[in-house]
Amino acid sequence: MRKHSGILLALPAWLWLVCFFVVPVAIVVVFSFGEKPDIFSTHSLEHLSFDRYAEVFTPAFFTTFLNTLWIGLAGTAICLVIGMPVAYWMAVKVRPERRGLLVALVMVPFWTNFLVRTIGWQILLAPEGWLSTLAQGIGLPAFEILNTRQAVLLGVVYNYLPLMILPLFVAFDRVSGPLREASADLGAPKWTTFFRITLPLAQPGIIAGVLLVYIPLMGDYITATVLGGAKGNMVGQLVAGQFQTALNWSLGSAMAVVLIGIILVSVAIGAGIVWLVTLPARSRNRLVLGPAQPAGARAVTAPAVVEGAGA
Amino acid sequence: MSRPSTRSLSDRAFGVWGVLVLIFLFLPIAVVIASSFNVGRLLVSWDHFGFDSFLALFLKPAVRDAVLVSVWTGLIAALVATLLGALAGLAMARHPGRWQLWLLGLLLLVSVTPEIVDAVSLLPWMVTLGQDAGIAIFNDGIVRLVIGHSLFSVAVVAYLVRARLIGLDAKLEEASADLYATPVTTFRRVTLPLAMPAVLAGFLLSFTLSLDNTVIAAFVSVSGSTPWPVYVLSALRSGLRPEIAAVSTIMLVLTLAALALVGYVLKRAGDSAADIARTMSGG
Repeated sequence: MRKHSGILLALPAWLWLVCFFVVPVAIVVVFSFGEKPDIFSTHSLEHLSFDRYAEVFTPAFFTTFLNTLWIGLAGTAICLVIGMPVAYWMAVKVRPERRGLLVALVMVPFWTNFLVRTIGWQILLAPEGWLSTLAQGIGLPAFEILNTRQAVLLGVVYNYLPLMILPLFVAFDRVSGPLREASADLGAPKWTTFFRITLPLAQPGIIAGVLLVYIPLMGDYITATVLGGAKGNMVGQLVAGQFQTALNWSLGSAMAVVLIGIILVSVAIGAGIVWLVTLPARSRNRLVLGPAQPAGARAVTAPAVVEGAGA
Repeated sequence: MSRPSTRSLSDRAFGVWGVLVLIFLFLPIAVVIASSFNVGRLLVSWDHFGFDSFLALFLKPAVRDAVLVSVWTGLIAALVATLLGALAGLAMARHPGRWQLWLLGLLLLVSVTPEIVDAVSLLPWMVTLGQDAGIAIFNDGIVRLVIGHSLFSVAVVAYLVRARLIGLDAKLEEASADLYATPVTTFRRVTLPLAMPAVLAGFLLSFTLSLDNTVIAAFVSVSGSTPWPVYVLSALRSGLRPEIAAVSTIMLVLTLAALALVGYVLKRAGDSAADIARTMSGG
């Protein structure tokens, strides 16, 4: 009994998630091999085939997938560029007693209803809206950004930025001050300390932030609906349309499966690129202890010391 | 000698950037709050100042019902998620075994799956259970919403409770057992109080997550029990009125109250700003 108590305690959660997550998602995967037999039914599994996948890869739909990938990559990159200095500022520059307040300030937008803050942008960006009136007031032309891809990009950067800042803040907060001071005492300039000490130690947090932004962003459906207009710029809308309007569940399922596939493949490629790019830095920073290869160890660590002292 | 001045210059640049980004983050929220004092036909065009939009909550049954459905669903979903998630977190922290990897894998999968995939999966499944299999409970709007909203929250609560209990010494429970306390007494008098901050934080986070859920709700909700975000989504197509902003402002205050409570609970339990940030960005 005692041996199995762990399994028993976890069983309700396990059953709940299997019943309402694993099974329905599996069913959607099965649906994706089906077809829409006539205009009255949503799906049929009479003839299983890869035809729906072939349909997804036709230009009419696949353009939206490429568009989504572009917004996902660009949005994540912009979030990283905007969020990194903010997180660094909050974790390192600001007086410790103010950090709690700043964390709270970043969290308020994060926990404000997603749809409502996106509507806030719709009000701001509207042709007769506040920003446009302000621009015209100082002699600029009226805004025509609403219902474009730029508006969607602005919207996703805004909506997911807190998800980038918070894990980055946690990561920078963990890199202790004494380590940075030691680096400075050894004569390293600030940039060297940042790239050789802070950034490598904060790497897990950076990866977490990128994934926390990129994955939900790729599946986003609200931002594009509110700011992108009727053009259907992202896959989320495409999937929703197949389930709610076109009532073609098989095609919608195939789109959802392809979306997950694209997310997984792009994350894997990204991980590979990061691994390759950081390879030289990692071999340079590696410290080999012990008598195993004294000559080799010195050769590996020596350039770092020389560079640190010379800079 | 120029060192101190350049240093303060770069510090100032960081500060300016940080403040600008915070303004950027609050800009649309401020616009929504300001718009809720707009009296006019359309949300986008400013007419004149007044509190009339807030009256919609009392005068329009559809608005009031949507808010009530949201709050009600949020409470039930948070209860379900907290119960299931806390037990799972407790099991992982105190009775680990090989099965733990499977559960962690499943929880990770639940938390990284895009919401739209959950949503389109649940819709056919609810139709199958409710109409094809004839299990009437799955045709109930609230039940559907609770199920859809609880999935992600179960994972969040399980992470929180597991992390909290792993950080605390299991010797306390062993001492209790050595002093002849029954497992139930040990749980009630030792484990539960230890886990309580995480359980409470998990409950409140689940509540706000449910209050905010738009995507899954839009798919599984049935007419007659439309939650507030879905009402707003449908208003988007028919034209936004100032009352949308007004009621959203009220919901924002509700969310912030819940979050302030989370922060208070965690702070009292001894968490730092970074710990709280980690908790609130989902572990």
